[in-house]
Amino acid sequence: MSTPDEVTLKLSSSMLRHGSELPLHARETVFSLDDVSVFYGDYEAIRNVTLPIGKNEITAFIGPSGCGKSTLLRSFNRMNDLIPGARVQGTVAYHGTDIYGPDVDPIEVRRRVGMVFQKPNVFPKSIYENVAYGPKVNGIKGNYDDLVEECLTRAALWNEVKDDLKKSAYALSGGQQQRLVIARCIAVRPDVILMDEPCASLDPIATAKIEDLMGELAKDYTIVIVTHNMQQAARVSDRTAFFTAELDDNGIRHGRLVEFGPTRELFSSPSDKRTEDYISGRFG
Amino acid sequence: MSTRQSLEQQPQSFSPQSLSGKGTPLRDRIFMWALFLALAVGVFTLAVLLIYVTVKGWPRLDLRLITNMPSVRDPENAGAQSALTGSIWVITFTALIALPMGIMAALYLEEFARPSSKFQRFIEVNIQNLAAVPSIVYGILGLAVFARALALGQSVITASMTLALLVLPVIIISTREALRAVPRSIRDGSLALGATEWQTAYRQTLPAAVPGIATGTILALSRAIGEAAPLLLLGAVSFITFNPDGVLSNYTTMPIQIFNWTKESREEFQILAAATIVLLLVILLAMNFIAIWIRNRTQKRW
Repeated sequence: MSTPDEVTLKLSSSMLRHGSELPLHARETVFSLDDVSVFYGDYEAIRNVTLPIGKNEITAFIGPSGCGKSTLLRSFNRMNDLIPGARVQGTVAYHGTDIYGPDVDPIEVRRRVGMVFQKPNVFPKSIYENVAYGPKVNGIKGNYDDLVEECLTRAALWNEVKDDLKKSAYALSGGQQQRLVIARCIAVRPDVILMDEPCASLDPIATAKIEDLMGELAKDYTIVIVTHNMQQAARVSDRTAFFTAELDDNGIRHGRLVEFGPTRELFSSPSDKRTEDYISGRFG
Repeated sequence: MSTRQSLEQQPQSFSPQSLSGKGTPLRDRIFMWALFLALAVGVFTLAVLLIYVTVKGWPRLDLRLITNMPSVRDPENAGAQSALTGSIWVITFTALIALPMGIMAALYLEEFARPSSKFQRFIEVNIQNLAAVPSIVYGILGLAVFARALALGQSVITASMTLALLVLPVIIISTREALRAVPRSIRDGSLALGATEWQTAYRQTLPAAVPGIATGTILALSRAIGEAAPLLLLGAVSFITFNPDGVLSNYTTMPIQIFNWTKESREEFQILAAATIVLLLVILLAMNFIAIWIRNRTQKRW
């Protein structure tokens, strides 16, 4: 077993994303979470999270299973609304507007904040229809050919599928399907893309393609990614939030935010012992 | 550590002899035969029935059966054309009434209603109950409401509405199952793109569920086409020698015609009834075959 220092040294020297690491206050914040807790009925899945998400940055959420990081991610585009009994406390501000405010339409939120899921959930339709679906339901009329080409190109899929646009999306491989989901997502021209373990069901080569793509997309979009893969977080993200599950006084598990900071710092000199244990593989 | 020790000991106990066993235990074999016997009884009964009616109806299994009208005086040349067209008329309107209603009800229950509410559970239990209500009860309802209160009399539409009520619970239940089989992730994907719940249901969930809905519906309709009891109550017993020409026309159907002929004492009518039974069975088998074909052709790979 290598010491934590060795591991983090390796990570920081070769794997960190060399993006601009402006201090957060110098960047525009897209999302600003203030004391956010998410409940499923009476159960508090994640508790008191305060966190900013910087524009055109990739923010990674890492932590063990059951720490509520996916739950928190789903509160960014009100996907939790769809789960009966789910409720959000605190403020999730998007460009200054509380998205859980009384006048906010969750449909509008989801148009601006897209989502890519763990399992590539392409629609049982053609590749073309998958990409055109978002604009179609959002009332954009006309010819989608250019849009479909643009989105597939940006998702690094165009060259592989340009002759098969009418084919079922199910004919694609898992990695291609996930890139199609990303193309579908950017077709509605969102501002933020949420990714919930987007590479969990992919092989290393497909994963590498998605990771490269994320770096490209971050030029135009703000990305929040949940990942179980710490190397992935280290490779792709600008900032990392580490969550863990803690027992409260009544013995009930709640997700907590332990540490949030620039990825390089978090991996090389974590300020919290729990973060250090987790990233060095000594967790649990 | 004890497991490791025992694992290390094991290789010594392996020898060619130890691979030979006693084979399938007797108890297992008895059980297997019991299962087979249960299947054999069912298949045997069905086979006897099919062979019996086919042999009996054989002399009359020709085109006259579908080109000629029933006749009291000339059973040698009588056919079941009015019953065949009557069945087609009735089942067509049954489908036109029951299908949209059943699919819409199922969509509401599955996609829009709050799943935990008491009202929802009450509705669910009652749909299950309705599916189990004997068909004669629907006949009574149809007689009271459609034939008498709405004064539609002994018409095709009365029969269609009654049979539509009869198959509605089955269509609702099978449509709900088909909708439920569409993975949550498809809905999530659609909603995450800013689609409304209605758009998601209409453009994603419903099209994805079509094969399941089609299968369930055809099976429900094939049940309706064989129904005699509720139609007897609705007064479809009359002797009809013309094809229906509209929804308010009088009618007869194949099960009714078979029922009428089997009441006759003359042998020719018995043969005619057997031939009509074969015709009805062929139609039923064809419908079931279509249902299976649709299911196999459109199997989803989620």
